Amino acid sequence: MIFRIFLSLLLLLPLACCSDYHEKLLLRPLPGNALLASFNFRSNATANSFDEQNFRYFPRSFGQILQHAHTKELHLRFSVGRWDAETWGARPWNGAREGGTGVELWAWVEAKSDEEANSRWLTLTNALSGLFCASLNFIDSTRTIRPMKTFEPEGLHPKSMLPNLQLLHGVLPHEVVCTENLTPFVKLLPCKGKAGISSLLDGHKLFDASWQVMSIDVRPICHGDDESNCILEIEQTVDMVLDRERSKRPRDNPIPRPLPMDQIECDVSKPYHAEDSCYPLEKSSEPAWDLAEIFGRHIKGDCPITGDDSMTVCVNTQPERIINVFTNPEDQDFGMKKIPEENLTCFEPPSNGTDFSLSFPEQNMTTPLPLASPRIHAFRSITGYGQERGGIQAIIQNPSSTEPLDVIYLESLPWYMKPYLHTLRSQLSPPSTIQPIKETYYRPALDRRRGTHLELKLHIPPGSSLTLTYDIEKAILRYTEYPPDANRGFDVAPAAIRVLPGPNDAVDEDTRRRGIYVRTTSLLLPLPTPDFSMPYNVIILTSTVMALGFGGIFNILVRRFVAADEVPENKLPLALTALVARFRGRIRQVITKAMGNREKTE
Amino acid sequence: MRVFLLGLLLAATALAEHTSNWAVLVSTSRFWFNYRHLANVLSLYRTVKRLGIPDSQIILMLPDDMACNPRNAFPGTVYNNADRALDLYGDNIEVDYRGYEVTVENFIRLLTDRVGEDMPRSKRLLTDDRSNILVYMTGHGGNEFLKFQDAEEISAFDLADAFAQMWEKKRYHELLFMIDTCQANTMYSKFYSPNIIATGSSALDESSYSHHADNDVGVAVIDRYTYFNLDFLETQVKDQFSKLTLGDLFDSYDFDKIHSHPGFRYDLFPGEEQNARNKLVMDFFGNVQNVEVDTTWNETAWREDLVRLGRLVEKARKRNNATNPIDSDILSHKTPSHSPMLGTDRASEVRMEDGWTKQMIGAAALFGGLGLWGAASWIDG
Repeated sequence: MIFRIFLSLLLLLPLACCSDYHEKLLLRPLPGNALLASFNFRSNATANSFDEQNFRYFPRSFGQILQHAHTKELHLRFSVGRWDAETWGARPWNGAREGGTGVELWAWVEAKSDEEANSRWLTLTNALSGLFCASLNFIDSTRTIRPMKTFEPEGLHPKSMLPNLQLLHGVLPHEVVCTENLTPFVKLLPCKGKAGISSLLDGHKLFDASWQVMSIDVRPICHGDDESNCILEIEQTVDMVLDRERSKRPRDNPIPRPLPMDQIECDVSKPYHAEDSCYPLEKSSEPAWDLAEIFGRHIKGDCPITGDDSMTVCVNTQPERIINVFTNPEDQDFGMKKIPEENLTCFEPPSNGTDFSLSFPEQNMTTPLPLASPRIHAFRSITGYGQERGGIQAIIQNPSSTEPLDVIYLESLPWYMKPYLHTLRSQLSPPSTIQPIKETYYRPALDRRRGTHLELKLHIPPGSSLTLTYDIEKAILRYTEYPPDANRGFDVAPAAIRVLPGPNDAVDEDTRRRGIYVRTTSLLLPLPTPDFSMPYNVIILTSTVMALGFGGIFNILVRRFVAADEVPENKLPLALTALVARFRGRIRQVITKAMGNREKTE
Repeated sequence: MRVFLLGLLLAATALAEHTSNWAVLVSTSRFWFNYRHLANVLSLYRTVKRLGIPDSQIILMLPDDMACNPRNAFPGTVYNNADRALDLYGDNIEVDYRGYEVTVENFIRLLTDRVGEDMPRSKRLLTDDRSNILVYMTGHGGNEFLKFQDAEEISAFDLADAFAQMWEKKRYHELLFMIDTCQANTMYSKFYSPNIIATGSSALDESSYSHHADNDVGVAVIDRYTYFNLDFLETQVKDQFSKLTLGDLFDSYDFDKIHSHPGFRYDLFPGEEQNARNKLVMDFFGNVQNVEVDTTWNETAWREDLVRLGRLVEKARKRNNATNPIDSDILSHKTPSHSPMLGTDRASEVRMEDGWTKQMIGAAALFGGLGLWGAASWIDG
């Protein structure tokens, strides 16, 4: 018996050594009373165990979809909101774990031909739509492109595999992201939201955030060309920016109401300051906040399968910031580590499902928390007016005063928005003789079959901003092609911008493979929409015209007209007189007959 | 002998019963002011889930997003009552069809299972002739039609034909059809397939009314008929062992509360009104896990099956082990050069700076042609 247990342990060992699980929560207070919460969950499986469907931490439902669709690397994003780079600074993960508003999916599919890749892509999007309760099946040929330069494989694929991999990319800017997408997302995690940092994930808070992204990244990591050495890594992240003030409101009464006067700090120097009027002062101190209050729940202990690094909760604040730890039951052991050079304080939540939370009292800070400045700013908008034509204007800024910026700009436009490539203009400000557009990749749209794919390689000198403009034509759709809420406008997917690594960028291998990305906001394109009650009006009007016009004419054609004095006045007396006349005639006949007879006899 | 008899008895009872329960819950209204229709359908979703039907056997169709709608003051939440006691959206919800996916075509395809090969299982109604189905619909309707998303309609005839096709395809055992819309009773008037019990909220030329509004949500949160259905299901049907019948449920409807005349249709059900009213509420709103036991059951066949299954597993394992080396074998022959099909279906590079060169070529061609013409006319002359 003991031998058997030992044997089974021995069998488990190689598995245990290569499949592990890590999770990490980073909290960073941002200016404007915002809080960035960045969740990261990472686990992996060896290629062999994956092929034999021995899933340990890798989610089975997801793994089987990947196998069925022959997908080797996959990136899926659900995003809502806008990252306010001016206030909040650089994006988490350098924007590499972000997608455009709505849903964005790109994957490397193994296929021998384009047709095979397309059919596998279709299989993949349909299967994912079932798993994530999202309308991913709407990513059809009109929304799929094959980007040339914007995305590069994040994983280390075996070299023999590379020629057979095809990159496909699809976006659904209109897709809403809600609790039904979070439910399957949390179910993919080994601790399923029951323990560890994932127990904080609550749809009510996540979808109240000013900005949030859920992402799933699957990539193989192969060392050498030997496929047996590969591992398949799945990384799930949730990044959100919560408004601390709004998150503290009770869930059943979230309507903002003014504070009582005695709780507001007033500027007494104002001339109108009185009992009932107050100019609220901005607080100079760091406000107090509590993790459990903001998320509405506690961390339920640690996830017991977490790997070596069990310091899972990290706070990015100044080292002197006071942090109170709360556990329930009280006085449980928890780990704590300070990394002052990175402004980090990390905690290890206690085990056995103990409630764990952090609270920060109100405190006057001498130094503000340094925020990394973004590498690039990008804006995009629709110009022009009218139902027929318009234009697109994109502004890309390079805030650095010393380093030029090389970027790839990708647009995937729907077929009903037709750009004129010859009108593409680029303008640098301050003006410069440099031609900013280095390369252009273009694939025109075909009505109802595919969208436009435009990819530009741009060079922006230091301290400059580049304005790209081009004209578009708006298509007129068929009556049945309009969605039920056509008057709202049609969503156009955000442009994705990748910053190419410069020569002076000293970054580690992993960050370099992920890349630096930024996405513009999505656009709402108003298309000429018919008055949808018009067919009904036309039918009603036509029927009326038919009834009145045709009815009248037909009536006139078949009727016999007689003068008014020719018409007998009343029908009943007429019949009566006729009857009387007939009767009289008969009598007269009888009388004449009788007279004749009399004449005969006489 | 006694065991055998018991088995026979069990088999006999099982034969008349269903072995699975499914629910198709459809809201057909888009836009924020139709909040109550989504709340209706989500209330039913919570109820059938509470009574045991798993998410995999519930098809939920929501044409709009109310929980995460920017107009919603309660993010991630849908309420069906102004007291806000119950959050219908909760932490665990699976919506199968949402947004623009909720169309008449998709609904009929779902019922009749005429779907594409890539359709995921969660979006299919995988029922058989032993499945009881609850079909609940709500939205804006009229005489013999129900609007979908304010853009198209399903007629009573379409629905009747879809159910008939389901019956022919052995896709249901018994079906309870509930509908909460204006003139709802006209929607089931055209049904002609057996084993259907139908009920609706209002008679011909009658409106179906909303129950009450929540001032902070800003719109009506539930319809009357659904509200009083839920009232019965929440207060009377406490657990899955409830023995209340559909008759009890139907008798709880009251014109004074609903403000419209609810209708019933029993004539398609075998045994008509008597039998239909005696069906348990749990037969449609709850879940059973009955297993049909074959009476001609013998030891050797079972063992043979097991052996055959073992062989299948072995074969599959072998195949799996065998495919891996073959796959890598094929791949290793490939040279890591550019793929031959690259460029056929992709964007191609456009040389914008070639503009002047192209114009020069054009001008040269034009002048060349002019020169030829001049030369020809000179020779001719």
